[in-house]
Amino acid sequence: MSIYTLIPLLPLAAAVTLALFGERLHGKGHRLVIPAVTVSFFVSVAAFVEVYTNGPIEVSLYRLLDVGELVVDVGFYIDQLTVLLLFLVTGVSTIVQFYASRYMIGDRRHSRFFAVTALFTGAMTVLVMSSNLLLTFIFWEVMGICSYLLISHYSDRPAAGRAATKVFLVNSVADVGLGIGVILTFLTFGTLDIPEILARAQAGGDFSGYAITILTLCLFSGAVGKSAQMPAHVWLPLAMEAPTPVSALIHAATMVNAGPFLLVRLSPVIVLSQTAMTVIAVIGATTALFAAVVSLTQTDIKRTLAYSTISQLGFMTLLCGVGAFVAAIFHLIAHGFFKAFLFLSTGNALAATERRIDHPEHDQPRAMGGLFAGAFVLSVIPPLVIFSGPYRDLWLSQGFSAANVALWIVGLGTVFFTAMYLFKSITEVFSHGPPGIGSSASSVAPRFYSARHVAAVLIPSAIAVGLLLVIWRWFADFLSPAVGGAPSQSTAGFSAWVLVPLAVAVVGWVVAYTRHNRPHGREVSSWKKRLYVFFLNKGYFDEIYDVFLVRPTIGAAHWMWQKIDRGVIDRLVVSLGTVSIGVARRLGSVDIAVDRRVVSVGTGSVSAARFLGRFIDTAGISKTVDQFGRGIDASGRAARRYEPRTLQHNLLVVVLWLVAALGFFYWIAG
Amino acid sequence: MNSLFADHLLSWMIAMPFLGMVALAFVRERNAVLWTTLVATLINVALAVRLWIGFDPAQDRLQFVERVEWMPTFGIQYAVGVDGISLLLILLTTFLPPLCVLGSWESITSRLKAFMMLILLVQGAMMVVFTALDAFLFFMLWEVTMIPMYFMIVLWGGPGRIAAGLKFVLYSLTGSLLLLVGILGLSLQAGTFDIQLLAEHAYSENSQFWIFLALFLGFAIKLPMLPFHTWLPDAHSEAPTAGSVLLAGVLLKMGGYGFIRFCLPIFPEMAHTFAPVVLWMSVVGILYGGYMALAQTDLKRLVAYSSVSHMGFVTLGIFSFNNEGVEGAILQMVTHGLTTGAMFLIVGQLYDRTHSREIADYGGLQQRMPRFVAILSLFAVASFGLPATSNFIGEFLILVGVSYENFVFVVLAMGGIVLGAAYMLWMLQRVAFGQPRTEAARQLKDLDFREMLTVAPLAIAVIVVGVYPGPLLQAMDASVTYVVERLGTG
Repeated sequence: MSIYTLIPLLPLAAAVTLALFGERLHGKGHRLVIPAVTVSFFVSVAAFVEVYTNGPIEVSLYRLLDVGELVVDVGFYIDQLTVLLLFLVTGVSTIVQFYASRYMIGDRRHSRFFAVTALFTGAMTVLVMSSNLLLTFIFWEVMGICSYLLISHYSDRPAAGRAATKVFLVNSVADVGLGIGVILTFLTFGTLDIPEILARAQAGGDFSGYAITILTLCLFSGAVGKSAQMPAHVWLPLAMEAPTPVSALIHAATMVNAGPFLLVRLSPVIVLSQTAMTVIAVIGATTALFAAVVSLTQTDIKRTLAYSTISQLGFMTLLCGVGAFVAAIFHLIAHGFFKAFLFLSTGNALAATERRIDHPEHDQPRAMGGLFAGAFVLSVIPPLVIFSGPYRDLWLSQGFSAANVALWIVGLGTVFFTAMYLFKSITEVFSHGPPGIGSSASSVAPRFYSARHVAAVLIPSAIAVGLLLVIWRWFADFLSPAVGGAPSQSTAGFSAWVLVPLAVAVVGWVVAYTRHNRPHGREVSSWKKRLYVFFLNKGYFDEIYDVFLVRPTIGAAHWMWQKIDRGVIDRLVVSLGTVSIGVARRLGSVDIAVDRRVVSVGTGSVSAARFLGRFIDTAGISKTVDQFGRGIDASGRAARRYEPRTLQHNLLVVVLWLVAALGFFYWIAG
Repeated sequence: MNSLFADHLLSWMIAMPFLGMVALAFVRERNAVLWTTLVATLINVALAVRLWIGFDPAQDRLQFVERVEWMPTFGIQYAVGVDGISLLLILLTTFLPPLCVLGSWESITSRLKAFMMLILLVQGAMMVVFTALDAFLFFMLWEVTMIPMYFMIVLWGGPGRIAAGLKFVLYSLTGSLLLLVGILGLSLQAGTFDIQLLAEHAYSENSQFWIFLALFLGFAIKLPMLPFHTWLPDAHSEAPTAGSVLLAGVLLKMGGYGFIRFCLPIFPEMAHTFAPVVLWMSVVGILYGGYMALAQTDLKRLVAYSSVSHMGFVTLGIFSFNNEGVEGAILQMVTHGLTTGAMFLIVGQLYDRTHSREIADYGGLQQRMPRFVAILSLFAVASFGLPATSNFIGEFLILVGVSYENFVFVVLAMGGIVLGAAYMLWMLQRVAFGQPRTEAARQLKDLDFREMLTVAPLAIAVIVVGVYPGPLLQAMDASVTYVVERLGTG
């Protein structure tokens, strides 16, 4: 039992305790969960130090399965990749829990909320620490059900219940791929032990390329689901039905990060298939660009943020697809921390603006300017981060080819749109209040665009970029061993390439600013309008799924139940019975004789039972038997009413069968 | 005295329900009846634990064997014994009845004593079915299980009980006559009813096919496999709660047990011949059952169709003929007993309050009954095999087992799991979330202590087996290996 077992164990134990004694601990759940998550954060730090000095740690706990050739050991494999993610997961969770302890005050399902968030955190830590692919899969699904429970938190709202079901189902369809991938991995590598699989994949061997491609794509399908890649991206905006701290948790610490993590964890396997890599890169790039454009058109800030997360995840997937695994993880961690901050400050700001509407006397937008600026800076940094050092990997990873250029253009396009939508949404919300409420003066220039604010934006961002480049150098050195076998993990320094994306981001920013200040009511060409409506409706993905998948499935199920199950199979059996009865009728005299015999046997046994009853216990047994008799009588009468002469006929069917059986024996014996 | 107990542990376990029935004859008061039954079933649980402790998992042959001549003229014996496979099913058979008694504590208002006697009778008969080493004894008690079930359905059932009862009896009788044909066919050729000796006899080519077919159909109807399943939704939904629990929890497993005990070891070649057909029927059953469940508007019927789907997994595992598949199938039988039994218990608790099984009559239960919804959610997700619950282990093993045969089955069966998630979560959404749709649903009381006590053991078992299935798998490993080795590779 290693001390690192505590990292998942503490949150899980807190979750179980709250689940069992939640009613008694009502309103005090955070007092249990916060210490648990905080301690597991500190243990994660200890793990980080240990891995930094001594390399990967393996912890084995117990044997889950040992059947035939399948052996599954529950254990942890803590390497450089794991500790970095643990740092993110437990760190962000701790912050979110502190935030939630205030946010959830007075909630009716206080204990439930903290129990599930603790389980969520615990599940994610097991996922990143797991040394076995089956264990990974198990907690992958556990996270799915946690998201289900959290999204249905405000279950009185029908939308919340619907969203929860839909989110889980979209994920579970994608997870079928992951499940198949796990079994295929077992068939291909003969084990589910992750270090073992990685070793075998790196050693090469005679794996058929076809099998590896299928396997990788199946595993990737799971990542598509959890990380909200197209076409499974529809669930992430729906997840906004959950309380705000949960959004921070889902977008920053748990759940969506599982996808890129899985790809990086299994990178030695994935790089074996060029086809799969290409598919991953293309899906990532498409998602990144599509989601960025969609978030540009959204009017709800939370939905904008959701599509922004989808877009960023698309980026990480793209980076994995071109083999820049280190960069993907770097982006993942940077994005995680910044997104968490953004969500929590959005929650605060929205609450604040609502208060402002209710109580105009508290109107202090200037005092909040600092917060707005901070949120703004931090939200623009992630795209800058990716395009500094790491982006060179994208450029260099697989040699110069047309495909890479295309991906590169897509990447820059995404940066452009990201800069645009972030500017747009933040200025709209923070300088004019929430859309629809008192935002008639939308042509007014954003208030914080004074020189002071520009300085507040530019200076920290310059410092941050410089700092991040230094961190990146160290980061790439640290993480490289964990993704050994991945191609071209060159240590990137500062280069002219950094300026390209930075410039693109600035252009996006400027375009958004000029558009924002442009007077309204100008004529817009019709194709532009159409395009806008298309993206405003998120590409109609939800509607397409509903019309072409969900409704036909349920409709067909109803039809099949009525027509096939009831109409064909059941009727077939019933008519088989009817035919037997018809045959039995033909037997005429036998019918009556057997009928009488059967009835007399019945009467005989009842009277025998009565006799026994009187003999043994007049009061007790006979009463029961009487009741039985009456019951049988009643049921018989009822049966007769229901379908005349059915019982007798059934017995006849039985007799017929017996005759047939006897004939059968003669035949066999003879 | 000690040896009288220790040497005949199995017979004591079999006798316990019948002793309970005798004891019931002498009590009259309502509470006394309930407590007597509960104590009788609990003693059996204690005995089962004792049996499990005494069981040596390393041995692949039968243990605790007891033999007494019964009808020497025909070579019929009272012969019982357990191997790892029977052991698990016996644990299930002893574990569920006390919960059935607790579940019927208040809901059975008329003829309580007779009802309790029937529960004990079913339990006793099933104990013999799962331990019998003599084919005749097996068949006799197999038949006996049908009778109390029939009365439970027609006397205490729902509005459509008479038709459901008839259908159940018709199907069961057809099945058991086929079974009788098969068993007599076996013994006429082999000259014995001893199951172990039956397996060693070489049967003539011609008869093999027919006897296998008769036995197979007999078990397939009980399980039930796809085209023979229509009795199940009616019987399950019309039966009283305890009846549904016993029916779904234990009775169906007699079919799967029959496959493993008779069909596979006695006719290995025939099993291999039939396997492709059975495997296809299984996956079709998985998808079909799930699909039908999606269409249901009645809670109990939904659970019943989900059983059809789950039983498809059982045959899928058994007929993949390897350790992974067969052990997965047995585990799936046990865990299906736990989760589906629990589903029926909890739906029954809801039914006790409103006397409605229609999904549309509920909604928003989360507001009034948080405990109920928590338990319902747990069993719903366990039922479709969410990882970290017991059903996942069984289903995963089955999928691994069948993946050696043909990967197409894995892909299709996975589709069944998604369907499972769909109908269970959709049901949950309509029952638990949103706003109450009827006035009655607004007034409901949450589960009380007795009702929690009824489902809590199952909830614990579902989680414990899900994260630590080792002991159960270990107990049956040697016995399953023995069966699989007999089958060879075909």
